[in-house]
Amino acid sequence: MEAYLGIDVGSVTTKLAVVGRDDELITHIYLLTQGKPIQMVQQGLKQIKQQLPKDVNICGVATTGSARYLAGVIVGADLVKNEITSHAVATLHYIPEVQTIIEIGGQDSKIIIIRDGIVTDFGMNTVCAAGTGSFLDHQALRLNISIEEFAKRALNSNTPVRIAGRCTVFAESDMIHKQQMGHRTEDILYGLCRALVRNYLNNVGLGKDIKPPVVFQGGVAFNQAIVKALQEELNTEVIVPPHHELMGAIGAASLAHEEMVGSNNGSKFKGFKVSEVRYHISSFECKACPNLCEIAQISLNGQVLAQWGGRCDLWERSPSN
Amino acid sequence: MRIATSHLGNLYITIKAWVQKLGLGGNLIIPPANNQRTLSLGVKYSPEGLCLPFKMSLGNLIEACEMGADTLVIAGGAGICRLGYYAKIQEQILRDLGYNFEMIGLSMSEHKLFGLPKLIKRLSNNASWFKVISALRFAVAKQIAMDKIERVVQKVRAVELIKGTANQLYAKAIEAIDNADDYNTLKKVQIDYIDQLNHVAKDTQTKPLIVGIIGEFYVVLEPFSNLNIESELGKLGVEVRRRTFISEWAKFSLFFNSLGLDEKSKIHKAALPYLKRDIGGDGWESVGEKVLHAKEYDGLIHLAPFTCMPEIVAQNIMPSTKENIPVLPVLCDEQINKTGMLTRLEAFVDLLKSKRRARNNTQHKES
Repeated sequence: MEAYLGIDVGSVTTKLAVVGRDDELITHIYLLTQGKPIQMVQQGLKQIKQQLPKDVNICGVATTGSARYLAGVIVGADLVKNEITSHAVATLHYIPEVQTIIEIGGQDSKIIIIRDGIVTDFGMNTVCAAGTGSFLDHQALRLNISIEEFAKRALNSNTPVRIAGRCTVFAESDMIHKQQMGHRTEDILYGLCRALVRNYLNNVGLGKDIKPPVVFQGGVAFNQAIVKALQEELNTEVIVPPHHELMGAIGAASLAHEEMVGSNNGSKFKGFKVSEVRYHISSFECKACPNLCEIAQISLNGQVLAQWGGRCDLWERSPSN
Repeated sequence: MRIATSHLGNLYITIKAWVQKLGLGGNLIIPPANNQRTLSLGVKYSPEGLCLPFKMSLGNLIEACEMGADTLVIAGGAGICRLGYYAKIQEQILRDLGYNFEMIGLSMSEHKLFGLPKLIKRLSNNASWFKVISALRFAVAKQIAMDKIERVVQKVRAVELIKGTANQLYAKAIEAIDNADDYNTLKKVQIDYIDQLNHVAKDTQTKPLIVGIIGEFYVVLEPFSNLNIESELGKLGVEVRRRTFISEWAKFSLFFNSLGLDEKSKIHKAALPYLKRDIGGDGWESVGEKVLHAKEYDGLIHLAPFTCMPEIVAQNIMPSTKENIPVLPVLCDEQINKTGMLTRLEAFVDLLKSKRRARNNTQHKES
């Protein structure tokens, strides 16, 4: 059976998805990256191999997410694609009439505006992580609540408090202040959700033409309290699609499919055996000019596979070479 | 007298040519090309909220002082944006750092009509006007040659089969122009390199996307500050167009503007329905260029230094123009990182590609 693999290595989680010829999901893996992208991609490959039906043949691979180039080198990707395009492709597959995609991940958040099935505008958070999943994680930790319990309790709020969400540092001091005033934890939690949503819309969503149907995806979409806060703020229904946390990986897999259909060459996929190999990563300071760029390199058995991180092209080798 | 000024793209070559032709080459100090250390020095000693051009040029001046410069020439003037008081602040910061120098702010308002010629006389060590002007003409010819070659490079980058070829040729061309000592050599260098660029192996099948670069003068012209955005776009197969070139700017602001021939009048006219006056920097032009290029280009990239007032005003006006074209705003400051910028550029190029495909499909159906 023909199948395509998409790998989305984000800052917080690593997602692998395998789709069939019809771009429908066959199986997937969801792991925490834990700052070890190479190991997690290898582990993901090992696990997904066990889940796949015996007759599946991987005919194309694409990588996406912030570690897309690294992951691309490891697995031998046919295509390395940015997160925005990957997300849009997957969402359009599930909800073809979508006009707005809201994606909130671990450390970045984005908005994608779609009209007539084409991306017409997009935005990503720039300098601030206050509107992202790590912000919620961090505050949940402060309140000593698991992130799973967070949503449940926040939904029990009756009179949510108003928390300044402009910046994590201020949100935190404001939250402590509200705690010390004697507000209920539930109300503070839902107040936080609202702060995150407000921050997102004022930052990433600023000046964007948000029209329904609005689709909400990414890891944070697991949190029903955020979904509720988004609906209240936008005054419209917010759809959380199935497999919303895998959208990047599914989109990458579909794009790999599209890429291979148009190509005469076979896939560059190195096979599941790469999960057994030991990659060596190192870095050095380039002294060719006063910029002193930090160059990262990944090698296998003493042979350098790829180098990047410089301001100029001196060391850069594209993953395909 | 050891004179120095801050960097702006390859302008140093032109300044060097002018000074050398006057026989005063030994008086000129050229600080190292913009690099990480320049930026770090500039950031360290600048007020945080000031823009990247201020910080970078301060870094240049500090490095120049370290090399022994005693006369600093700084562009400034009575602009509407903060550039107007940059020379004064930079002077104060450098004095506080303990450097000893004379500061010359280059602005018409300070030197008045007769002050500027007097200043040139002084800097040129009382050379005759004939000598000053013929030296300047040669220097400007160098700038024009560099800009002509760069325009070809912008086209070649998009379609070259081996990425990076055009950039290598461009670097060699700049070096050759820098070394050229007379008009003949200069002309030969220009013809030779344009010829070489035209003969680079190219993909002739695909029609590249065309993206216009608009926005603030400094970050548009200084590749270090915008992380070589034009090269990166070239790697993605995009042909870059821009209005801002040093030679164009010099031609108009030194000669034609005083004759009432303003190259920007067309742009300003286009901006009129949305913005009726100059708001400093290049804000008015940014709005006007969006209106003008909406039909010609596939997309626009709007470059601005973080905290740049004129460009922020322009950025907020742009979405409401009825002439529609995708615009990607890119804010440049010391926090800008390459990965984040590349992700946005790749997504923007994907957007433009699918837009073009959709347009071709509808045209196909109609015909």
